[in-house]
Amino acid sequence: MSNAGANRASRPPRVTEFICLSFGWLTALCCSTTAADETVDFGKQIAPIFQQHCMRCHSPGNSKGEISLATIDDLKSNEYIVVGDADKSHLIELVTSRDGKPPAMPQKAQALSTEQVGLLRQWIEQGAKWPSDVVVQETSKADASWWALQPLSVPVRVAEAASSYASLDDFILGKLAEKGLALSPIADRRTLIRRLSFDLLGLPPVPQEVEAFVTDSDPAAYAKLVDRMLDSPHYGERFARHWLDLAHYADTHGFERDMRRDNAWRYRDYVIHALNQDKPYDRFLQEQIAGDVLWPEDPHAVIATGFLAAGPWDFVGQVETKSDELRRSARSLDLDDMATQVMTSTMATTIHCCRCHDHKLDPISQQEYYQLRAVFAGSKRGDRVISDAAVKQAEETRAEWTAKLQSIDLEIGKLEGAGLDLADMVGGGNGSGGGIYRQGIDARTGAVQTRDLGALDNVLTNTLVRTKSEFIDGVFIPDGENGKAVITVSTTGVMVTGLPKTSSAAWDVIRNGPVASQHSPELGGIDFTKDGHRLLGLHANAGITFDLAAVRLASHQTEMRFTAKLGYFGASGGNHADAWVFLDGKRIAEYTQLTREKGLQDINLELPVDARFLTLISTDGGNGYGHDQVGFGDPKLKPAVPVTLSDEDGLRLTSLRQERATVKERLSSISPSQNFYGVLGEKNVPPVQLLVRGDSESPAGEPLAPAALTSLKMLDPSLGGVDTSEGERRAALARWITHPENPLTPRVIVNRLWHWHFGQGIVNTPSDFGYGGDRPSHPELLDWLAHQLKEQGWSLKSVHRMILNSKTYQQQSQYDKGAGSVGVDADNRWLWRQNPRRLEAEAIRDAVLQVSGKLNSERGGPGFQDFTYEEAYAPIYRTITADEPALWRRSIYRYIVRTTPDRFMTTFDCPDPANLTAKRLNTTTPLQSLALYNNDFMLRQSRHFAQRIESEVGAIAVEQVNRAFQISLGRLPSHQEQRLSVSFVEQQGLFALCRSLLNSNEFVYVD
Amino acid sequence: MKPHSAFADRRRANLLGPNLRDFLPACESHSRRAFLQTAAGGLGGLALTALLATESQGALPRAARAKRVIQIFCPGGMSQIDTFDYKPALLKRAGKPFDPEGKLQFFASKPGNCQPSHWKFRQHGKSGLWMSDLFPRLATCVDDMAFVYSMRSKSALHGPGCFMMNTGFTLPGFPSMGSWVTYGLGSEADDLPAFVVLPDPRGLPPGGIINWGAGFLPAEHQATTLDTANPQQPIADLFPPAEFAGRTPQVDRDQLQFLQQLNRMHQESRQTNSELEARIKAYEMAARLQLSAPEVTDVSRESEGIRKLYDVDHPETGPFGLQCLRARRLVQRGVRFVQIYCGAENTTAKKIRPNWDSHEDVVRDHGYWGAVLDSGASALLKDLKQQGMLDDTLVICTTEFGRQPGAQGAEGKGRDHNAGGFTAWLAGGGIRGGVGYGATDELGFKAVESPTYCYDLHATALHLLGIDHTQLTYYHNGIQRRLTDVHGHVISEILA
Repeated sequence: MSNAGANRASRPPRVTEFICLSFGWLTALCCSTTAADETVDFGKQIAPIFQQHCMRCHSPGNSKGEISLATIDDLKSNEYIVVGDADKSHLIELVTSRDGKPPAMPQKAQALSTEQVGLLRQWIEQGAKWPSDVVVQETSKADASWWALQPLSVPVRVAEAASSYASLDDFILGKLAEKGLALSPIADRRTLIRRLSFDLLGLPPVPQEVEAFVTDSDPAAYAKLVDRMLDSPHYGERFARHWLDLAHYADTHGFERDMRRDNAWRYRDYVIHALNQDKPYDRFLQEQIAGDVLWPEDPHAVIATGFLAAGPWDFVGQVETKSDELRRSARSLDLDDMATQVMTSTMATTIHCCRCHDHKLDPISQQEYYQLRAVFAGSKRGDRVISDAAVKQAEETRAEWTAKLQSIDLEIGKLEGAGLDLADMVGGGNGSGGGIYRQGIDARTGAVQTRDLGALDNVLTNTLVRTKSEFIDGVFIPDGENGKAVITVSTTGVMVTGLPKTSSAAWDVIRNGPVASQHSPELGGIDFTKDGHRLLGLHANAGITFDLAAVRLASHQTEMRFTAKLGYFGASGGNHADAWVFLDGKRIAEYTQLTREKGLQDINLELPVDARFLTLISTDGGNGYGHDQVGFGDPKLKPAVPVTLSDEDGLRLTSLRQERATVKERLSSISPSQNFYGVLGEKNVPPVQLLVRGDSESPAGEPLAPAALTSLKMLDPSLGGVDTSEGERRAALARWITHPENPLTPRVIVNRLWHWHFGQGIVNTPSDFGYGGDRPSHPELLDWLAHQLKEQGWSLKSVHRMILNSKTYQQQSQYDKGAGSVGVDADNRWLWRQNPRRLEAEAIRDAVLQVSGKLNSERGGPGFQDFTYEEAYAPIYRTITADEPALWRRSIYRYIVRTTPDRFMTTFDCPDPANLTAKRLNTTTPLQSLALYNNDFMLRQSRHFAQRIESEVGAIAVEQVNRAFQISLGRLPSHQEQRLSVSFVEQQGLFALCRSLLNSNEFVYVD
Repeated sequence: MKPHSAFADRRRANLLGPNLRDFLPACESHSRRAFLQTAAGGLGGLALTALLATESQGALPRAARAKRVIQIFCPGGMSQIDTFDYKPALLKRAGKPFDPEGKLQFFASKPGNCQPSHWKFRQHGKSGLWMSDLFPRLATCVDDMAFVYSMRSKSALHGPGCFMMNTGFTLPGFPSMGSWVTYGLGSEADDLPAFVVLPDPRGLPPGGIINWGAGFLPAEHQATTLDTANPQQPIADLFPPAEFAGRTPQVDRDQLQFLQQLNRMHQESRQTNSELEARIKAYEMAARLQLSAPEVTDVSRESEGIRKLYDVDHPETGPFGLQCLRARRLVQRGVRFVQIYCGAENTTAKKIRPNWDSHEDVVRDHGYWGAVLDSGASALLKDLKQQGMLDDTLVICTTEFGRQPGAQGAEGKGRDHNAGGFTAWLAGGGIRGGVGYGATDELGFKAVESPTYCYDLHATALHLLGIDHTQLTYYHNGIQRRLTDVHGHVISEILA
């Protein structure tokens, strides 16, 4: 303590100094009487009195106390202090007892001591000197001597213990002995495997595993089972859920326009993967806070920063609104979310209390909070490329496989005589399906375009430009100038003439598919985006020339016809346009005054073997180009004579089709985008100032340098200066949090692990190690586990092993009403038994699927969507019953929509991802009964469960009953249960039994 | 939609009484107290309190003036200028630039010219308070209503604004007022949820169901949404889908009995785990819900006069009127907190905005929604009064923020968001009628006299329910959280 004081004295005086003064020290100082002639030291003698006795009410922003004692201003202006005259000073009157009545101030608290009043008088008499740079602030309840802020203690027992496992139980046994309690017996193996399985994997054990374990004569069978389960890939899926509760992860932004966040899943997969790999916990945190800075070449480390972005984000407030004030406010809350997430999840420190004022309980000042926020001031949420290398690699692979697919398609097309698709060529393909849907060609430049454009600027009419496609000779924007214009339509100089006058304007690009904002892809009852139909979108005014010679060369298809279904896809209501087909500059078809009402025009034109340039043109009909969405449906170059296949060709076709399926699968496994949802750094980090009362319109003071908390005395809080780059700030914070001397980080995670295994933590508020939180029940054990974690190279699995192999964990949870322990410790704080627990929402859903035999164990990748999606200003998500294999994946892979949480899950206490959830609540409500009993998903799964049993054991009721119990509860029924169940099945059917078992207490509770 | 015949089949099936409710023993003759005693047996500190309460008279503090709350929420931002906040000065400035220096920037626009109310204002009732012609029927209730003219919000965005008005925080994830109230008071009903929400038939409000979420409070305090478009299944999963429905009541009875037998056998060796008992009881409670929920949403047995009062057959205003009528039925049966939405989200906006968010055309959108609110809310106040329930039923009508006195849009027909000033009104349940509190400036731009955030509104509502808002707390992530955060004063000026 005195040490801390000395440290402080050597630094310049600061506001926060006073917060850390301890009460003991204060009293000592205040009681030291000062001789009348000695000068009173305001900082050491007066400020502590104000701080301790007055500031709770008399501080700025607290209307309760009317005046503020933060500075001398209020005191002077209201004659509370008359400088040099203590008797006239109202302050002295207030704190002095009169006529035997207690003094008026402090209210509802112990009066100031005579010595303290004396000091105040003396200070006033001496001129009431208050150094202008001193602002008195209320002290927090806890100071730097708070237990959680102290270095890890090294328990002696670590050295003495024969094995580390034994010593974990020693800590528990020690406390139990103190309270006159003892451990309960070890649970039976059937209970243990079910407990372990739900605990580590989130799934029930399958009957074979149960029987194998129960009958295993190996004394080490349990330890081996623990190892096996920790090695299971399901372990990561289970524990990622716990971590994502803290990250408050979801797949949409939340708020009013709850838009999709389709690349968020990569972070979810990162967490699963990192946990399965047992990535050292310090590294795990470093990656999540600054992996992109520390290991930019490691895709996993980069994706890990999805952690910072996992929470909600207000698009309307940050982007859509035109009001800067609203943007500042939304951004302020956004930064609060990021900083809070990092500090709460890693260090169980509740910094968010300091957004508006100094922490009332813990030694954290408002300034420190804003310095922590400064770490993230340049970090914005958004989609980000994992790494240029990864993108390049994916593109190369994709190009390689696309080329293979194209050559196969070309050959198939030739054998089948299906013809070549002109729309596909527009999309960059060779006419056989390799083109990219909705990719197009800019008629002004010939450039490839995937983005939607609108009205085009810089239009130059009647100017042919080349394209990248070997099959497309050129494109142009026509203006016939009332038939006068002579327009070049090929690179060899072929011309056309006789086209009408146009508005010389153009919209979007020539597309493989509908153009931007197309009214509809449907015409004449055909949706040209579905069922294998294709559309060449040619919005007026535009022209495109295909090089038939190049097509023949590549396809060996010589005699061809051009077939298509032409139409006006724009809205009806007086809009119309014209379309034209030229062959080598000669007009071979024209379609004027096309409207939606006219429907589809069948085109079927012969293309002689020597014809080279096929030109398609749309013009706006002279009434402006609005709505003129001309399109060629299923535009094909077909072989002139139908093909008949030889046997050899038939075989070749079969093998090509097989090959195609393989190639296609390989292609689809290359992820369409190499983006993830994470944070994007700004080059110039915006300055961060303290916001008075947390109001983003009231910044005060100098821009703040990024810094961590000063209350952890063993660490240097500095994280850089105001010029430090965005990335370096995060890297510095990551290093500070995972610094070997930081006692909180390891304490917090081992406590979380404990909490997840026992349903209660050693500190029972896993995200709050401050004054407002719980005190550790076994402080030495907590520190011992933290040490173990560090000694085992921050391996979480090693801590799991210690806990799971302990006798404490393996105890049974059942006990008798009369058990002596109940009277001493009904809440089981000292762990004289294990805690029975209800399954969480996800575990219930996953267990149901496993039992019904329908669980789809596909791992990773984009989440499954058990909803329909409707694009709108605020998109509409409508939940559907999960009734197909794609939706029967584990719940961790669910696409989580913030504004439309899944009702079934929420009913079972699945938390709102707006919040960090350290501890799931566990309620019991009638709505849960209704959900399990009547929900469509549950009933369908019950039916699958019944079908599974029938297929496994046939129609004999007793065998059905036995099997149903084994699968769902991991045991055979008792005689009584069997008798009852058999008669139930005979009367009500197997389905009813299955439904009942999935509703039973035993199914949803683990002993 | 299912064809009508399927509907009729389900209905018949329900009359026979399928599913859980047939499990109920001779429990109908059971007195409520006896039933609850059974239910509460050995439950310890657990769970059932909110949805299925303890005897509520005991739970309700003696100081309570109101026993229950009906809150009408008008999402989108109702214009104070065109409804309740009379501004003659604005009329004088009509057509002059609202912000001649061009300094202001609102949510979506810069302000245009001063635009007085699109409807004429008149004085009404004994109190002589002003109300615009948008609300002819509500105007006849003015002496029962108290107006807070000086409301402010901390956000001019719909999502955060709705969250704030409902939960006291602009961020999602905090418990709504209804959740806090049921957390504090439990329910009066033993067969209905304590907190019920009736969303607009057009869809959910901005921010979705988070608006009535329980946040970090236990899930039992979240609202139950009544799907009134589906009278046979007003509560999700109340009955199984048709293809799984029990063939006869006997089947359902036997099935549930079997489940409970399994549970009892399981419980034998686990007598000390009170949660298991609670779960067994929860299935019985669910059975009661199957009887009460369809009954409460069915208004067919209400008198013709009542149906007329709420104008339930009117194609435009009828649906909201129906919700108001159902709200009355719910509170009549002991539901503690009912929230009715008068408007939805800005989804696929068609001709008329789906809520009060009148950026383009106040006359069109407020004209539509005004008629809707006027009809339903006035009927609710009159009906409650007739039934003698207004005295102990608190009615609150709020929006998330107001609108600008300056016009928006090229033609100046709309108004932009205004977090600086708007009006809320309250009635019944200990509220003094015919009074106004606070004021905006002379143009209705900003609350200047007694500026009031939702904290004060919430504190006042809790006060009327007999709860000190500073005492209703729940520990979460380091803070003893409150509905009123660190703010809140009871507005004693509007108390009777």
